[in-house]
Amino acid sequence: MLKVIINKEIRDLLGSTKFAIIFGVCALLIIATFYVAGTRYKINQSYHEASVTENLRRYEGVTDWFDVQDSRVILPPSPLACLVTGVSNDIGRSILVSGIGELTAEGSRYNEDPLFAIFRFLDLEYVFGVILSLLAILLCYNSISGEKEQGTLRLTFAQPISRSTYILGKILGSFIALSASILVAIAVGCLVFIIMGIPMTDDQWLRLILIIIVGLLYFGAFMSLSVFLSALTSRSANSLLLLLVVWICAVLIVPRVSVLAAGRTVEVPSVDAIANEKATFRAQTRQEFIDAMTHFNPDKYEESADKALMTFMDSLQKERENRVSEFAGRLNENRRNRQQVQHRLALALARISPTASMSLSMSQLAGTDVDMSRDFMEQALTYQKKFASFCEAKTGVVASGFRVIRQVEGEELPEEKPLDVSEIPVFEHHEMATAAVVDAAIPDIGLLVIYNLLFFVGAFVAFLKYDLR
Amino acid sequence: MENLQSGPNLKPPDRPALEAVNLTKRYEDGLLALDHINFVVNPGEIFAVLGGNGAGKTTMINLFLNFLEPTEGEARICGIVSHKEPLLAKEKVAFVSENVNLYPNFTAIQNLDFFARLGGRTNCTREDYRDVLRRVGLVDDVHNKRLRTFSKGMRQKCGIAIAILKNATAVLLDEPTSGLDPKAGFDFLELLRSLRKEGKAILMSTHDIFRAREIADKVAIMDRGRIIMKKTAQELHGTDLEQLYMQYMAGHNGERPN
Repeated sequence: MLKVIINKEIRDLLGSTKFAIIFGVCALLIIATFYVAGTRYKINQSYHEASVTENLRRYEGVTDWFDVQDSRVILPPSPLACLVTGVSNDIGRSILVSGIGELTAEGSRYNEDPLFAIFRFLDLEYVFGVILSLLAILLCYNSISGEKEQGTLRLTFAQPISRSTYILGKILGSFIALSASILVAIAVGCLVFIIMGIPMTDDQWLRLILIIIVGLLYFGAFMSLSVFLSALTSRSANSLLLLLVVWICAVLIVPRVSVLAAGRTVEVPSVDAIANEKATFRAQTRQEFIDAMTHFNPDKYEESADKALMTFMDSLQKERENRVSEFAGRLNENRRNRQQVQHRLALALARISPTASMSLSMSQLAGTDVDMSRDFMEQALTYQKKFASFCEAKTGVVASGFRVIRQVEGEELPEEKPLDVSEIPVFEHHEMATAAVVDAAIPDIGLLVIYNLLFFVGAFVAFLKYDLR
Repeated sequence: MENLQSGPNLKPPDRPALEAVNLTKRYEDGLLALDHINFVVNPGEIFAVLGGNGAGKTTMINLFLNFLEPTEGEARICGIVSHKEPLLAKEKVAFVSENVNLYPNFTAIQNLDFFARLGGRTNCTREDYRDVLRRVGLVDDVHNKRLRTFSKGMRQKCGIAIAILKNATAVLLDEPTSGLDPKAGFDFLELLRSLRKEGKAILMSTHDIFRAREIADKVAIMDRGRIIMKKTAQELHGTDLEQLYMQYMAGHNGERPN
């Protein structure tokens, strides 16, 4: 009996003109998403290659390692980040790394293309979050109330069928029909990706599959919610109105309001205020550095005077940088801690809406979640250490900016040979391990499962009491 | 399909196919929709229930189909109390509603297939569906057309085809002839006659006094939840049912006919 209902539901949905029109638009959007992501990946890839080449080209013809003061760290593009953009377009993708000093990321995509910041990119999170949730509502809002209006509910229940079998068949049938259609569109999208020659590792495919599962869970939640509200009303116009109100709250209001509310509740010092404090402290230490320089006494050193001056300056500079970075670290940590409290509150509030859980888990799986910027910075810091020890090996000092050159008249300078720039350490960006990413996404995926169960049970219970007349 | 075509079982029935025993329904708002109704419909019998809007005819059918629970009494289908064992009871009854609205995106055959399967008939072939559709007067050309292109009369025929296909002992018809043109109405009566011949027990609620007079073996008049008159076709022989109906309705509002 269940099979009969599922079968009918699938055929009824897929055979309707409403489905053909609405799904046609959605399918085109899904395929377009993959195409746009592929194109964006290729553009980003060529930008990235150009930047990496440019970074090394700067030092072509340089003959002294002392002139290699810094190296640019550039975040490589990832196909998944193009499919689920998350914060990847908001964060700086390039960091100028010196042997010492604080790092700042610059050059975000939105900075370069401000128009995109207004309209945002087309990505899977948007397609599922906004478009496909609407599809679920538009195709299922009259799931029960429509059958009642149509008169088929009475005729169906004149047959020996239990209410539980019927509602189970109805939800399963709708889910199978719609998710299979979505999967077909996604499969075509993946094919577009493959044809475009976008390189994806096995791990990335696995993550993409998980992202799609998250999307389908979210879709399922909105679908069961539609059936649920449809089983609470006897007129489909009412269920549609009710669902649109819920959709607006879940998709547009709750995530934004929760961030605002958390911002009001937990105050976090602004980046500008912190930068200001750091600049003041830096200026103050600079003065101290200049004062300390006046106490240089070459007699205290066994080395030659110029070498001694360099060692003295380097140690002063190191000490100063340590103090500055310690001070900055304290400020940053304080800000980070407060921000973490704020984030936790905002996320807890936002998760009232399945849309927030979907966005969070999708971006986590794509590696474009809120921690992306911190992760990139940590990798840049690791590179900084590597670069610093490289500089030290080559020049004997780490701190940049000061050098004493003594030239004795008549003495010939050693012959200058161009450097082998390929010796400069290369920055390699590591994606987070899939297992760790999945671990991080699991709470939100679990929440989506709970939403599905909740709405499913709601639909079930509501239908057991539904007036069939 | 053999069982559909086979001759009627004219053996006297052990128990009535449809039976209302003190059937009463009082809604939560206090409205007494059905007040201790009693009747019996035996196989091979057509029982027509006449009455105005709000008389309780549809409530009575809803109680047989367990869309409502009775406040008191029982509605029995082949001896099975419908609110106690609804699934078992519904196996034995077919239903045609006032406005048959089937799935508009399905063809006539697809609609038939779905409801036949729900009714427990999983072994019907395409030809079986075509036979039934032909029997109710739908020509082959429309069998594979979507229901959304059907007129009301054609949809009604489809509804009857579904009921016939179920091959249930009892048949409930809720205002089946409302809105049908004269030809369709005539065809419908012919169908009812053939179903009676097959031994079906038919309960028909209707406004249509003339058709009730023409076809019914028993006629009842309902008003405000009560059966105020119940007569057999023999008892009605030679009387003007329309006049009688008007008299009863007037009588129930004050003056009772002799």
